[in-house]
Amino acid sequence: MTHYFKTPLTRRQCLGLLAKAGSSSAILGAAGIFGLTNIPVNASPVALKPLQGKNRKVLILGAGISGLTAAYELERAGYSCKILEASHRVGGRVLTLRHGDFINELGTPQICPFDDAPNLYFNAGAARIPAHHTGILHYCRTLGVELQLFSNHNKNCYTQDDAAFNGQPVRIREYEADMRGFVGELLAKSATADSTLDQPFNEQDLDKFIQFARAYGDLDADLTYRGTDRAGYAAGGVTSPAILKQPRSLPDLLRSDFCTGAMHFAEIADQAPALMTPNGGMDSIVKAFLRQLTTPVQLHCQVSNIQLLPQGVAVTYLKQGESYTERADYCLNCIPAQLVSGIENNLPADYVAIMRQLGRGKLTKIGLQAKQRFWEQEDIYSGISWTKQDITQIWYPHHDAFKAKGILLGAYSWEPQISDRFAAMTHQQRLATAIAQGTKVHANYGQYIENGVSVCWQRMNHMLGCGAVWTEELQKTGFELLQAPAGNHYLIGDQLSMHPGWQEGAVRSAWHVLADIERRETLRTGARA
Amino acid sequence: MNKIWLVFILLSSAVQADSKQPDAQYCLVCHGSAAQGNAAIKAPNLTMLPDWYLRQQFIAFRNNWRGSDANDSHGKEMQAVANSMNDAEIDQAIAFIRHRAPVHVSISVNTTADIQHGRQLYQQCQACHGANGEGNAQLHAPPLAGQHNWYLVQQLRAFKNGWRGNQGDDNYGQIMRQFAQSLANDQAIADVVAYIDSLPPTQPLVRTTR
Repeated sequence: MTHYFKTPLTRRQCLGLLAKAGSSSAILGAAGIFGLTNIPVNASPVALKPLQGKNRKVLILGAGISGLTAAYELERAGYSCKILEASHRVGGRVLTLRHGDFINELGTPQICPFDDAPNLYFNAGAARIPAHHTGILHYCRTLGVELQLFSNHNKNCYTQDDAAFNGQPVRIREYEADMRGFVGELLAKSATADSTLDQPFNEQDLDKFIQFARAYGDLDADLTYRGTDRAGYAAGGVTSPAILKQPRSLPDLLRSDFCTGAMHFAEIADQAPALMTPNGGMDSIVKAFLRQLTTPVQLHCQVSNIQLLPQGVAVTYLKQGESYTERADYCLNCIPAQLVSGIENNLPADYVAIMRQLGRGKLTKIGLQAKQRFWEQEDIYSGISWTKQDITQIWYPHHDAFKAKGILLGAYSWEPQISDRFAAMTHQQRLATAIAQGTKVHANYGQYIENGVSVCWQRMNHMLGCGAVWTEELQKTGFELLQAPAGNHYLIGDQLSMHPGWQEGAVRSAWHVLADIERRETLRTGARA
Repeated sequence: MNKIWLVFILLSSAVQADSKQPDAQYCLVCHGSAAQGNAAIKAPNLTMLPDWYLRQQFIAFRNNWRGSDANDSHGKEMQAVANSMNDAEIDQAIAFIRHRAPVHVSISVNTTADIQHGRQLYQQCQACHGANGEGNAQLHAPPLAGQHNWYLVQQLRAFKNGWRGNQGDDNYGQIMRQFAQSLANDQAIADVVAYIDSLPPTQPLVRTTR
């Protein structure tokens, strides 16, 4: 958790911060909501005209969401597709880990040690879907992926900051109630002060505004905050009279960085309630695509050469030490740009130069198997606790309440320096760190944790990065160039969206390319006729 | 926590399984499809490096001579891989690289560098690295000609700031560090690397096994 919201945000700054937050938020959807771009958030799915017997071949490099989306739409229109995937699995950064899964992190390979049970899974990559991500939701609907609610914000979770409250965790409910109480009081009192007479309010407006401030902070009639049941009761409240908790002091609250950062996380457009996630793990979407696809998906095919031809593209790949070359009319490439840059090619130099400037997203997630769902004893079901330590977040499962065991997210940071620190550790050190830091949020944390997985996305084989990092400058100079085709080669994936790190970006980038192919095919057949 | 150890055992076998596939292709993920290097990953050209130097660097990563500094994230990436490989796998990887054809990298000329100044600075380099940057196995000095200029810059900086050549038992690294420290600043580094770039690729790159 970083230093966002330390000063009042302009809209531009806000968008910048969203972009920095990488996978947890990003610009496209937010910008749509804020009305700053003309990309319609509700664009309808691309409709490719059927080829009607013509033979058009498309090679798709990478079996993540963008590649699967492209294959699904193209094969329905009669294109003949093949997906080449470098790794041992389908799904890209949609990675749901279960018992026995191989985690191919360079230098830190693991076998997922979770017990073999349907509720013990961990979304190590994509984990949540906001309702305005209509592209990916379109496929959930069409392919029959069942969804459940996912919560970022749970008032019963904790905030922990060594700088405040002696490092003790505080319920978000209490912290927010008190903070809002003081803010409400300040608002109400400043509104009644003489200085507001110059404000462009009439008497009625002013009265309403003071009522708002009172409701915002849950103030007494004299506009003073004296505590609220929003913070929960100190005692009683059901069969005996409620006793309110004493408010914490404002200076104490301000010592914690929660009020300048994570407290507002669920206000971010892409993180605000209500969110959704597929039942049984995010890879339900991948499985749903695979159920429908007739396109072959070849695993362990590592692309070694991409050659633009006068008409079409030739792709050479290594499979178990043997080299194969295939030609196609089009190549849709969702290999991460940082790796394309190392693949022999005859792509235009300026095109490859942009790929080399894209930053590699650094992001670490740790999943922990708990032998008891101890959080339920603390009235926590789903949501996120926040801490200023490197682990940054603890997520509680949003599913399968009251089962014997559960998988916690034990660390999740998109701060590059933090992710570098985790990457530098052995897997055992990462787990030990997650447990030691988690103990500041839940005493005896370690006694519940049985095993775990750690995924540093900048180290994952065949990826070497999480969401692409576009600087504002590079986005201005390079985005359109990289989004445009080079001959019959298209770079796709969430990297080619203003929404890197989100499935929505992957879907939309595929749609963008499919629309262009449709346009070219129409021109082509038109020219022949 | 006992299960952690079970994971550890399992993962050792996973590594073996993975490299038993003719999948020293592993190297090519970062170092490029022809092992020619990849600027986006800051991974060097391996094809111009002789076997003895590749082996020496595996040792350097394993011994924490390279990748030890907390800020050296690229070094740490290679260190993690080196640490996960056993001796046989290292042999396999080196053999795999030897079967790649040498790739002469295309050079983007640094227009702000002073090649003449670079030539003067290179005087002290050539005793070990050779007049044509061809390297010297006896002195454990790698070839430089044919390496990406951005990688040479990065490594000179790494020696200068102590990411390399800063460990007591890394004799060759320590020697190199002293020379790197004699380069006054980034301009001097740019100049000497520009001169190395300008060396004619006349010498065949001999890839000997020691």
